[in-house]
Amino acid sequence: MKNYIIRRIIQMIPVFIGILFILFFILEQAPGTPVSNMMIPKMTPEQKAELAQKLGLDVPWYERFVNWIGEALHGNLGYSINHKKPVVDVMKDYVGPTLLLSLVSLAISVIIGIPAGVISATKQYSITDNVLTVVSFIGISIPSFFFGLLLLKNFAVDIQIFPLFGLKDPLLMSTNPVDKALDVAWHLVLPSIVLGLGSTASFMRYTRSSMLEVIKQDYIRTARAKGLKEKTVIYRHAFRNAVIPIITLLGFWIPSLLSGAVVTESIFALPGLGKISVEATMTRNYPLILGINAMLAVLTLMGTLVADILYAIADPRIRYD
Amino acid sequence: MKSRKLVSLILAVMMTVMLFAGCTSQTAQTPSEPQKPAEQPAETPKADKVLKFGGTGFGGLFNPIMSDNTYDTYVADSIFEKLVTNNAEGEMIPVLAEWTISEDKLTYTFTLKDGIKFSDGSDLTTEDVAFTYETIAHPDYNGPRAYAVSSLKGYEEFHSGAKDTFEGIKIIDDKTISFTYAEGSAAPANIQNFMYGIMPSDYYAFDSWEDFLALNEKPIGSGTMVFDSWEPKQFIKLMKNTNYWDPSSAAKIDGVLLSEVPDESILSALQTNQIDFAQIPSSAENLEAAEALSNISIANFLGNGYTFMCFNTTRAKLADVKVRQALMYALDRESFIEAQYGKGLASVGMAPISPSSWAFPDPSELNAYKFDMDKAAKLMDEAGWTMNSDGYRYKDGEKFHVNWLVYTDSSWPGTLSGMASDTWKQLGVELEIELMDFDTVASRTMDAAPGEKDFDIYTMGFSLDIDPDPTGALFDDDAFVAGGFNASGYKNAEAMKLVKAGKAEFDTAKRKEIYNEWAKIMNYEIPHVIIAYRSEIWGINNRVKGMDLGTYRTWDQCLKNITIE
Repeated sequence: MKNYIIRRIIQMIPVFIGILFILFFILEQAPGTPVSNMMIPKMTPEQKAELAQKLGLDVPWYERFVNWIGEALHGNLGYSINHKKPVVDVMKDYVGPTLLLSLVSLAISVIIGIPAGVISATKQYSITDNVLTVVSFIGISIPSFFFGLLLLKNFAVDIQIFPLFGLKDPLLMSTNPVDKALDVAWHLVLPSIVLGLGSTASFMRYTRSSMLEVIKQDYIRTARAKGLKEKTVIYRHAFRNAVIPIITLLGFWIPSLLSGAVVTESIFALPGLGKISVEATMTRNYPLILGINAMLAVLTLMGTLVADILYAIADPRIRYD
Repeated sequence: MKSRKLVSLILAVMMTVMLFAGCTSQTAQTPSEPQKPAEQPAETPKADKVLKFGGTGFGGLFNPIMSDNTYDTYVADSIFEKLVTNNAEGEMIPVLAEWTISEDKLTYTFTLKDGIKFSDGSDLTTEDVAFTYETIAHPDYNGPRAYAVSSLKGYEEFHSGAKDTFEGIKIIDDKTISFTYAEGSAAPANIQNFMYGIMPSDYYAFDSWEDFLALNEKPIGSGTMVFDSWEPKQFIKLMKNTNYWDPSSAAKIDGVLLSEVPDESILSALQTNQIDFAQIPSSAENLEAAEALSNISIANFLGNGYTFMCFNTTRAKLADVKVRQALMYALDRESFIEAQYGKGLASVGMAPISPSSWAFPDPSELNAYKFDMDKAAKLMDEAGWTMNSDGYRYKDGEKFHVNWLVYTDSSWPGTLSGMASDTWKQLGVELEIELMDFDTVASRTMDAAPGEKDFDIYTMGFSLDIDPDPTGALFDDDAFVAGGFNASGYKNAEAMKLVKAGKAEFDTAKRKEIYNEWAKIMNYEIPHVIIAYRSEIWGINNRVKGMDLGTYRTWDQCLKNITIE
């Protein structure tokens, strides 16, 4: 197992460099530069060119690629052009809220989605199953901007019980950490419902189909024939086998914990990585785009590894030697 | 063994899940108690006197020489004070200093008022003024304001690092400082270069440029507000400067809170009193919705800027003024304005000067290119483009085809080009609309070198300075270079003569005549057509008094007068 993990990690390095190379190439192909959007007529073309040169844009992209890797190995991801501060510091500002929002919504979807999927599968074609199926299809289909605005209209404007924007009440004078945490939690209720709904639905559907497949297997019939309790049959025998595809899903979920949810973040004015990566793309803020995408690439690679390891733990038949 | 491992794994997962479940159920229940934790502190008197702004786009560059968007500039202008500013009429008035201009109009001498102090208690002297302007000229400076110092005497030598002293900036004593412009760059617009906040030289002194940038999020100035805190993409909190150097005009409010509020929520936030004031995206529906709110009053005024359309006159078909005029006659801008902004929220553009400016010519002398398909067809015929049986116009076997670069970052270019594709089709013009983002439009039009400018038509919006001088912008022949703002390729020696004469003329009456002459030429030639002058709508809560916004008056300029009831 240990050897397997080490081997996998070593294999990741060329893959990661390949991803970075593609990223640099795509960024180079996109028209425009970080100074294109500076619409200040008093700025002369020479002054614009000088700014571009200070950003290192006069160097060919493959050279920038090599330099970037060299600097990144020393932990220096460069300066974010718009923020005029190190990329690492910019990412630190936004990573917390993003992680918080995605963990809460992931928790919601796991807690609700998986049990609902199991119930749905064990009572296939019952009223409960049909209701859950309809609800989950609504959850998958409803656009998050619409659902978000709907919730805001109802719960922040008509009945004013939830805040309309932000993650913190800036006028909260209390220094008590409990009050502060409650304030943040309070601000997170609506966004995490919006973000959680879609993934709850997909977890439910995955669990349902995976359970249905397992339940029809011979060994489940055998378990029932042995006279085991239905609960034991479902949760100890069936669910354990059905959980493998869900682990794959969770593995892929790891990068999305940090990639941010652009739409949800924008509607609720939350300070997340999703929103700044879109901003960075629109303004050609190369260092920040690279920093965020490099982080996501690492997380995606790690996510697949974690999923593979979890398979082995969940399913004794899987061995990596 | 294996199954025990699995059970413990499941248990661990369950426990983590429970932990989160605990958190979420708590969040769902606690707030339903009658006291809302988030709202409660707002009842303390202090928070009550805080002015709350809402908008989207704060970047974190809270520094007068680094800020590069409107929102960061609001913050910088609340914390820092400038040598001069403008009044509601757009005339220059002193803030920190009175000024005189030398006989040759090249030297500006400023005399600081008595007793000016920064919020940290240190004196504001001419040393701080010199420091601020020398920092803009510093070799490492990477902000957007180099133009504020680049025509001062000795800029090149100082900026390149060849000389340690900036010849154009002379400290005469603690209170007096002079700025001298290089020969030939005398212009009335130069006074606008002194509208940038003065920074304390002790606090901002830097060894490396990174040290200087690190202070962007910890600004100190001499203004009525001091910086308290900022949460990226959430809010910026400013507090009243209790040490303000002129106690008689200190702020009457306890602070300003600038929150990040998305456009979709601006009206709701105003309605629910979560913000006191904000700019509302200009449209008829929004205006109607805002007028229906009883707690809000509306400020509706002309914005200082215009939207324009650029013709690439290096393309043979668009080099003909008749063709350009025909395309304009075939564009129903009045309907466009009604569809996009609503009646009264924009007007048809004519001269490349804001109607709010003293330089704006008598509209009756200008052509508004009123929608007229017959006239358009006649001009096309005269230009030699004749209608073919397939419904398109041809000349020497070439079909009249133009492309239009439309950016989707805002909605108006899409509306306008959509309407054009209909009426231009009737005229016999084949229009190809290319959708892209703003940066791509800028790079294909302005950034590209002459000859490589890959477009026929593009549209964009500009905001303007108070001074009407168009040098360097759309109508400057010298700006037809890679990275310059004139992408049309249109050159006119007579018009350029007027631009240069207008720039250097200190007699306002004569200057107005020059610009009127110039505006008429541009209104006829239309290499760039001014599409519309737009209005701004602001919603202001009734509890806020003394916020008199206008074309030349931003809210931060009203801070000293604002009270909250």
